[in-house]
Amino acid sequence: MSQEESDISLIIAQIVQKLKGSNLYAQLERQAWASLQRPEIKLESLKEDIKEFFKISGWEKKLQNAVYSELSVFPLPSHPAAPPEHLKEPLVYMRKAQGSWEKRILKSLNSMCTELSIPLARKRPVGEQKELLNKWNEMGTDEPDLSLFRPVYAPKDFLEVLINLRNPNYENGDSLSFRTHLGLIQVPLKVKDIPELKECFIELGLNTGQLGIDDSTQVPPELFENEHVRIGQKVLAEQDSAAAQQYVRQGSPTALRAELWALILNISSQPEDILYYEQLKTNVIQHDLLVDSLIYKDVKLTASNDDYYFVFEDYLYQVLLCFSRDTSVLSHFAYNSASPPKSYIRGKLGLEEYAVFYPPNGVIPFHGFSMYVAPLCFLYHEPSKLYQIFREMYVRFFFRLHSISSHPSGIVSLCLLFETLLQTYLPQLFYHLREIGAQPLRISFKWMVRAFSGYLATDQLLLLWDRILGYNSLEILAVLAAAVFAFRAVNLMEVTSLAAAEAVLADLSTLKVMPLLQIFLFATVT
Amino acid sequence: MSRVSVPCHVKGTVALQVGDVRTSHGRPGVLVIDVTFPSVAPFELQEITFKNYYTAFLSIRVRQHTSMHTPAKWVTCLRDHCLMPNPHSEEGAQDYVSLFKHQSPSMTFPKWLSHPVPCEQPVPLLEGLPDPSRVSSEVQQMWALTEMIRASHTSARIGRFDVDGCYDLNLLSYT
Repeated sequence: MSQEESDISLIIAQIVQKLKGSNLYAQLERQAWASLQRPEIKLESLKEDIKEFFKISGWEKKLQNAVYSELSVFPLPSHPAAPPEHLKEPLVYMRKAQGSWEKRILKSLNSMCTELSIPLARKRPVGEQKELLNKWNEMGTDEPDLSLFRPVYAPKDFLEVLINLRNPNYENGDSLSFRTHLGLIQVPLKVKDIPELKECFIELGLNTGQLGIDDSTQVPPELFENEHVRIGQKVLAEQDSAAAQQYVRQGSPTALRAELWALILNISSQPEDILYYEQLKTNVIQHDLLVDSLIYKDVKLTASNDDYYFVFEDYLYQVLLCFSRDTSVLSHFAYNSASPPKSYIRGKLGLEEYAVFYPPNGVIPFHGFSMYVAPLCFLYHEPSKLYQIFREMYVRFFFRLHSISSHPSGIVSLCLLFETLLQTYLPQLFYHLREIGAQPLRISFKWMVRAFSGYLATDQLLLLWDRILGYNSLEILAVLAAAVFAFRAVNLMEVTSLAAAEAVLADLSTLKVMPLLQIFLFATVT
Repeated sequence: MSRVSVPCHVKGTVALQVGDVRTSHGRPGVLVIDVTFPSVAPFELQEITFKNYYTAFLSIRVRQHTSMHTPAKWVTCLRDHCLMPNPHSEEGAQDYVSLFKHQSPSMTFPKWLSHPVPCEQPVPLLEGLPDPSRVSSEVQQMWALTEMIRASHTSARIGRFDVDGCYDLNLLSYT
């Protein structure tokens, strides 16, 4: 067997393995058994007839969507000699940096624990459980004393760690020379330049219709919008994930967005999923976790203060508290450079049978975390569906924004991409900002870490997230950040301090993202 | 046909440099690693596996003896095989790599290794898809592997994060 053939059969074997444990497998089995009753299924040609039945009844499409989902999320099987850490992150120095960063977070959480004398986890007394169950739908009305809690870290702390990343094999010289990077990120990751980005984001080109541009009030809907909506309805009728992903590259009509995103993420609310969510809710009722207070604090500090999102405060608790208890999230650590924090049952330190992960899903929220959920509340109103969508978005995309890795969609690559684009295509602006002590990344970092949530107007944010899903990549965040700087370049050239630069870029709520992206990629003279 | 790893001795790297090592300031870009197979009977080499560390291009040369009377000859099996598409960036820098027999272009295989088995005709494939029986044997292998892992895993009950109903924790562990 040639190398490619054995690669493909290994991929197939892995996907089959994954799907064997899924609901879909059980459903397909049931359907196959049930189909034996049908007259067109004949014993002589059993396999072919069942396959044909699956095709006609739409079950083959469901299987295709599941396979497509696996291919989009999980990395290709790596070399057989490669250990599991290699799959999480191939570069040793990045793994080490992530390990050190995690240790700092754990120390911070432990010291909060000891200082405030609050346990990491405790079982709620029955009275408290009843009380929480009663006010499950209005947890926002609670006003617990959170003054002693502080977020475990903020994006700017994380940025400092990224700035200090060094490849021990990279000769940079101690003094500033043409070889040292002008920006803050000093690791030599491969990032795309504009010609490569144009090829990658070809559907955002000037000759292709876009929602966010060609659906504005001045443009007659017959030119693009009507046809695009019609195609969207057809894609939904076909229930094809791959087609949906391709479709949303040009933006998703508001009325179809919720269904299209669910199709792309391969989420269908089965009774089992609703039951699973209810089980998570029970876990929240039964145990109180320290991270719950961190979540409360984060929601109160960020989403509750936001004009667009404060109405969804209760939903955010319902999603994030359950998220912390969800052990199925642990499986994403196979391809995440981060690792879930570990703890032991009290009194059983060091005994492996009593080792657990904390929180159960292994994810410690940081300042701004709830903003990953908030925009989704506009699309999904049923808590278990909202929950599933958020969870899938997290394990596909958002986790990359706060872990140290060399992945092209990881935050380090996004930072380097942003800085490189700015240096290459707006060198005067970059130089000026650097001279006045306003390194551009210090301003744009927080936008990218939050995927622009809370900075853009909601309709614009959703158009941006359409493209994240459509291209299965977060690189568009770095391109947009550079495009924003390009847009405000004239004002930025006139400022003389970091504070003034930040003031110029403080309010992005009036920006229209698609024209900015299109101009930066396709219409800027280079 | 089962495969076994062949014991080999990997010597330290030697830099290829023109000029005096002491006085020249440049870092040599070419390093040589000698690999010997002490006291091993002739074998058929199928695969070379290694972990890369910032090598951009790889060439492999083997020394073959044709007979007792002619001196040993160096033959190039692989020339400038690219391991890092962009040597100034991290792509491929620390990857695990396997090189296979069939990647060597000139396939008169060195005689001191053994008489190689003539290439089998590849099984005709249906529309470019791999042979189903091969795939099912891979699936069997993966299944067996998973069962092995599952058997040795002291994992908590599926979906539960506590131990026998208890989630009363100490502090977070740093190891």
